[in-house]
Order: sequence, then structure tokens, then C-alpha cells
Amino acid sequence: MSAIPAALATATTLGGAGALAGLGLPYRLRVPVVGLLTAGAGVAGAAAGVAALGGSRWATDLPGLLPLVGTHLAVDALAGVFMAVAGAVVVAVAVYGVGYAAGHGPHGLGSRTAQAMLPLFALTLVLVPAAASVSTFLVLWELMALVSLLLVLAEHRERASVRQAGVWYAVMTHLGLVLLLAAFALFAARAGGETFAALRAGAHTVSPTVRGLVFVLAGLAFTSKAGAVPLHAWLPRAHPEAPSPVSALMSTAMVNLGVYGLIRTGLDLLGGGPAWWWLGLIAVGGVSAVYGILQAAMASDLKRLLAYSTSENMGLVFIGVGACGLFTSYGDRPLAALALAAALLHVVNHAAFKALLFCAAGSVVRSTGLRDLDRLGGLRSRMPATAGLFALAALGAVALPPGNGFISEWLLLQSLIHGLQVPGVAVAVVLPLSVALIALSAGIAAAAFVKALGVGFFARPRSPRADGAREAPPLMIAGMGLLAAACVALALVPGLLGDALDRAVSAIGLPGSGALSGGGVRVRLTDISASLSPLWVVAALAVAIMAAVGLPRLYGRRRRRMNARLWDCGGGAPTPRMAYTATSFAEPLQRVFDDVLAPEQDLNVTPVRESAYLVERVRFERRVPDRIEHRLYEPVLRALAGTGRSARRLAGGSVHLYLGYGFVGLVVLLVALAVGW
Amino acid sequence: MSGGLYTQLLDLACGAFLLAAVIVLWVRELTAIIRVFALQGIALAALAVLLGAHEHRWDLVGVGVGIGALRAGVLPYLLRRALATLTADRQRYGTAAAETRETQPLVNVAASLLTAALLTLLAYAVARPLTALDPTPATRALPVGLAVVLIGFFVLVTRRRAPAQVVGFLLLDNGITATALLATSGVPLIVELGVSFDVLLAVLVLQMLTTRMREAFGTTDIDDLRELHD
Repeated sequence: MSAIPAALATATTLGGAGALAGLGLPYRLRVPVVGLLTAGAGVAGAAAGVAALGGSRWATDLPGLLPLVGTHLAVDALAGVFMAVAGAVVVAVAVYGVGYAAGHGPHGLGSRTAQAMLPLFALTLVLVPAAASVSTFLVLWELMALVSLLLVLAEHRERASVRQAGVWYAVMTHLGLVLLLAAFALFAARAGGETFAALRAGAHTVSPTVRGLVFVLAGLAFTSKAGAVPLHAWLPRAHPEAPSPVSALMSTAMVNLGVYGLIRTGLDLLGGGPAWWWLGLIAVGGVSAVYGILQAAMASDLKRLLAYSTSENMGLVFIGVGACGLFTSYGDRPLAALALAAALLHVVNHAAFKALLFCAAGSVVRSTGLRDLDRLGGLRSRMPATAGLFALAALGAVALPPGNGFISEWLLLQSLIHGLQVPGVAVAVVLPLSVALIALSAGIAAAAFVKALGVGFFARPRSPRADGAREAPPLMIAGMGLLAAACVALALVPGLLGDALDRAVSAIGLPGSGALSGGGVRVRLTDISASLSPLWVVAALAVAIMAAVGLPRLYGRRRRRMNARLWDCGGGAPTPRMAYTATSFAEPLQRVFDDVLAPEQDLNVTPVRESAYLVERVRFERRVPDRIEHRLYEPVLRALAGTGRSARRLAGGSVHLYLGYGFVGLVVLLVALAVGW
Repeated sequence: MSGGLYTQLLDLACGAFLLAAVIVLWVRELTAIIRVFALQGIALAALAVLLGAHEHRWDLVGVGVGIGALRAGVLPYLLRRALATLTADRQRYGTAAAETRETQPLVNVAASLLTAALLTLLAYAVARPLTALDPTPATRALPVGLAVVLIGFFVLVTRRRAPAQVVGFLLLDNGITATALLATSGVPLIVELGVSFDVLLAVLVLQMLTTRMREAFGTTDIDDLRELHD
């Protein structure tokens, strides 16, 4: 008897009860009860995922639940990864969310609608990977999109920009759904069945053209959900505008499901494909990684920065998945398994540090009401716990040794570098290029997070609201603590996940990579001679830092100390206005990437009336527009608006015209009938 | 009634029915159009009575008489009265002719007649599988009903004057009734009663609307309604 059905049933019950509690209970009771039930659902979901990762499988059909087609559920180790991650994030965010919504008033996240939707959202995040037929998957997928849309709109009373973000999100997510519907309808029609088992069995009978079309359509939909370019425009809008616990869920568990969908469809249901699919995916991933992190480095809105960084990390994951498919198509299965394991590990790592980053950013926003890094600063002394947690998570995000992101990126790089033994010109060009892109994105990520941490939390406060910041309530710290513990564990002993990842990789028919074998302490690659011991790396770094900090102190103690005022060039004491802002910190980088970013700047100099040489006021404005959006979306939107305007001419107001439409329609139909016979 | 005579009479009635619809397209004088419409009503009534007599269904004969009374008597009377009220004040200025003639249809008469021929052909082409199901004399005449539906719709689309449009609408309805009669060998009395009542009401409402339009715009050219557009 497997534990999975019991856990999933518990999650469903708790999630449903949470939704009802959110609707029914008064504000004071609502927030803690909903938080408790959501956390329970998360625990149950994580338990189901862990059980699946432990090697148990489960499948069932519930014929009565959806009309005509029934509901098909199945859980394997691949689904288990995403379920466990979603469940774990849900638990931490639910705890955090109680602190966030309590004392904030019955608006925003504390409102009846938002509190009813939060458990449902958590539930759909856990359940989507369990779907085992096209209709079940699409129903859950759409439910997830709708519920998350309502959550994004939770604070629409407070800011008008929320509504605009909601419209963008609604349109793009439904565009994705349409693409997905088309892909799956085509696939199911050709494969002769809509359950995943039937698709898997029938995939080989489908013609290569149709398979390619299905992959491209589904790939566009899934990469859009994951926030990869070019269909990423919703992400930097919706994630900043959503309440922070919702952003944390969306930016981790929900974007992960885009990755899940792509792996499930491309590698499992379609059973892999020709090299061009995967080269395309690697290209999408590479562009997303660099473009996303570049935009993040330019952003001065803290949550927008984090949202773009999600785009980058998903890009890295897609490079891994693409490399896996590429190696499979060339028949190098061990290397494919390694690439996929690296991608999955990065999914887990990203979920841990990004949820923590969004939660910490949420604490800042809740306490100061500011998201603008230019006006923050000085939070380290005012919110020490939050600042520490943000620093820990940022360490994970920059992919440098003691952080957890480093290990998965290292694995990814190993698989790409060793992929050069695979023959083929395309491979020889693409793989080194993607290695370079990963390295570049890691470098810019370091700049972006140094900016976020240094400008946002260190130095002196640059606005009264940042000055008045207060530490977050204990429940929020507790929620973040859970995530921080996950980050530390992933950074120190990632090897514990080794067997689980092997099972997930072999769930789609690849041999286990053994990437993380070695009992947790050591990461040793079985097929490639490379190994890494995160624990020793951390220990060595700790010793080095202690030496670097401690020795000068020891040495310096012997000398006499003198306290004096800082040399200020005779200009008076430096004010906070003179400190680095996010914009000025990013300025050199922006100059380097000027051609890519194409910033727009406005300089207005107003001279004093009597003299052309004395300046009364200087007004400087700089925007870094999303260039892909500018070039790709605006023409489409303009064309759509133009079509709409010219379509109005169809309704000219003449009754004869309207009657004529009916008449012509009827005659055309009859002619079609007559000719058809 | 012998089979041969029945078939010949049925074909005659259907021919008259179709011809009347075509003549509506041909003539321009509104009073003449109404007269032709009344003739078509008589042909339709004859059709129903013939079918009823052939199958010894006296309720169908009753339906036929009712149709005759409504479509050859009441509706033309109402139309004529509406036309009279429309032209009453124009008589004085001698401009009544402009209002009682369909002077400028959107498609000229020659083209209209050609279109009617094409529509009839289309009706025959479409009805082929239906007649093939059960080739009795009645179902073989089925395309005539369809053709009149299409011609009625065509009148509705191309004629400018509101009274001509009402006639177009009624042609359409006549065609539907004829199709129903021919396809099913007669509809139940209650259905036909309901349909007839509907048509009567529609004509009354349209008549009122036409008068209103005339009062508001001084003409019954429905293209002037364009100004109601936003």
C-alpha cells in the first residue's frame, strides 16, 4: 500500500477545507486557520512527492470526476520532484503568509477572496504533476492559472499597476493555454488516445512533422509559463505586483511546472526527438539566461529584479533539459541523464533560494512599503534577520561556491563540457557557446545580487520610510527560516538527493546518472572523472575567510588605534544622497551592454533666467525598456488594434449590409453543401 | 383525384408560387408587388388544399383555407392600408410616386432576375439528397420552397423601401411554409396556426415601425436608418 494516495487525498481535503475557511471565517480567524490548512496541504503534498522519489509509483482512474473523459492520475519519480518542491515551498510560504497577512488588515492578501484562493493555488501546484491524461492536466493547469490570477490581483485596490499586470498575465497565460490545447489536441488525435499512457504508446506512429509541431507549440506554452524569453513579458509584471507570498509561490513552484510540462511532453510522451528541437530549446534557454539576468542587473525595483532572475534561472534549467534531449538524440544516454539531473537539481535549488528571496523582499515591502532599491538602504541594522536571510539566499542565487546554486550549475557545466565528445557540428558550436552564456549569466548575477544586497540593505537609509523599517514578525522569520534551512542543506549535502534524482531521471527511461552518489558529502560523477565535495569547499572557504578577517585583527591589535573623521574633501559630511544607488551601481554594466539594452534617457536643463551659465534645475530620467517586448510585442499589439479598428467598418450601420451578411452566409453554406455532395 | 391530375395540379401550384416570387423581383410598383404577393398566397393555399385532398387529410385542407385567408386576404389588406397611409399626405404634392415605387433597388432588375435563376438552381442542387430520400411528386417540388426562401431573403437584402422589405420577409415565410408542407406532407394544424399568428404580429409591428419611420425621416428608405449608428 503506497503512501501517495493517502497523502494526495489529505492534501486535497486540507486544501478544500482551507478554501472554505477562507471564504467563511471572519478576518481574525481566517488568516491563521487558512495558513494552518495550507501548510498541512503542503506537508501532505511534499510527503506524496517524497514517497514517489523513494521509489513508489501510483496510478488511478476516477471515471466520474470529469464528464465524458474521467480523471486520470499517476505519480512517478519525475512528478515526485516537482510535487515535493511545490509542497515544501507551500509549507514555508504558508507559515510566512500568516505573519504577512495578519495585522495587515482584511484587504490585499488578508481578503476573503485571496485567503480562499491561496489553499487552492497550493493544491493545484501539488496536483498538476499528478495528472496523467491531457484533459486532467489541462483542467488542473487552467485552474492553477485562474487561481493565481486572482491572487495576483489581490492588491488591486492599492495600486493601479496591479490591474495592468493582471491583464498581461491573464492574456499571456491564456495564450499559453491555447497553444497547449492545440498541441495536445493534435497529439492526442494522431496518437489515438488522450491518457498519457496512450500518448506514450502512440507517439511512434505520429509523423515527424506533427511531432515537431506538437513540440514547438507545447514548448512555447511551457517556456512562457516558466518565464523564458520571448514569451516572458507577464513575469516581470505579475511577480512584482502580486503579494510577496504569492510571488514566492509563483516564482518557484509555478514556473517549475513549465519545466515539468516540457520534460514530460518532450522527453517522456514524445519520447525525445531530433536534434533541432533541443538546439532550439538550448537557444531559448541561453537567451533567457543572459537577457533575464541583464534586465535584473538593470532593475531598480527589488521584486522586478528577482522576477527577471527567475527568468534567468529557468533559462539555465532549459539549457540543461535541452542538453539532455540533444545527448539522447545522439545516443549518449549517461551524459543525457547527467544533464537532466543537473537541470532538476537546479529546479530544486532555485525554488529554495528564490522563495527565500521573495519572502525577504516581502518583509522589506511590508515594513517600508518600498520596492525601489534607490530609496531603500540601511536595512541591515533595522531588519537584521531579514537582511541575513536575504544574504544567504543571494549567495545561492549568484552561483558561487558556498551557495546552493553553485552545485547545480557546476553539474550543468560538467555535462556541457563533456558533451563535446558527442559528434556533430551543431553540438560543437552550441555547447561551448552555452557554456560561455552560463558563465556570463553567473557573472552578471553576481553583480545583480551584490546590488540588491549592498544597495538595498547596507549603507544608510535613503528615505524616511526605509529609516523607519522594523523587523518582520516572528512567523514570517520562521517561514523564511525553513527556506533558509533548505538552502543550507542543499548547499552542504546535495548528495542526499542523489538517489531521488536518479529515480526521477530513470522515470523517463534514461539510466540513472549517479551524479550525486557518494553518501551526501561528495559529489562524484560516475561516467566522468570529476568530483566535488561541497562540505569541504565550504569548510575551506570558512577557514580562508576567518584567516582573512582574523589575522589583520590579531596583527592590528598590537598597534595603537586612532579614531578620526572620514576625509570628506572639504565638502562636509557625506549624506545618504551621495551613496551608491541601484541605478548608479548598474551604470557601468549598462554602458558595457549598451547595444543590447538600448536605454532611453532624458536630460532637461533649466537655466536661471538671467544667465545661460547658471543652472536652476536639472532633471534626468533614464529607463531601460524591455527591448524584446518593445520589438516583438508592440508591433503585434499595434497590428491587433489596427485589425480591431478596421473590423469596425464591417458594422457600417446599414441594415442592408447586415442582412447581406446573413444572406451571403446562407448562400455560401448552401453552395458548400451542394458542392460537398 | 387521379395521380396524374394531382401531380399536374401540384406542379402548376408550385410553378405559380415560384413565378410570383420572381415577379416580385421584377415589378417596381409597390401596389403591384402586394398584388403579386396575394397571388402567391393563393398558390400556397392551393398547394396545401391539394396535398390535403390527395391524402384525405381534412385538417390540412383547413390549414390551406386558413393560409389562403391570411396570406391572400389579411396580409395584403394590411400592406395596402399601410401604403395608403404612407402616401396619403403626399398625394397633395404629387410626390406619392416616389414613395410607392421601388425606384432604386440596390441590385437592378435584370441582375435580380439572373440572381433569382441562380438561387433556384442552388436550391435544386441543395435539395437533391432530400428528394432522393423519397421521390414522391411533393418532395420533388421541394426545391421550389427553398428557392422562394432564398429569393425572399434576396428581396430583403436588396430592396430599399420598407414595404418592399416587408414583402420580402413574407416571401421568406411563404417559402418556409411551402417547404414544410412539401417535405412533411403537411404540418399539424396547431403549428401552422402558431406560425401564422407570428407572421401576422410581425407584419403589424413592421407596419407600425414603417409609419413611425415615415414620420421621423419623411421616407421609408431603410438606408436612412444608418444615422442611428453610433
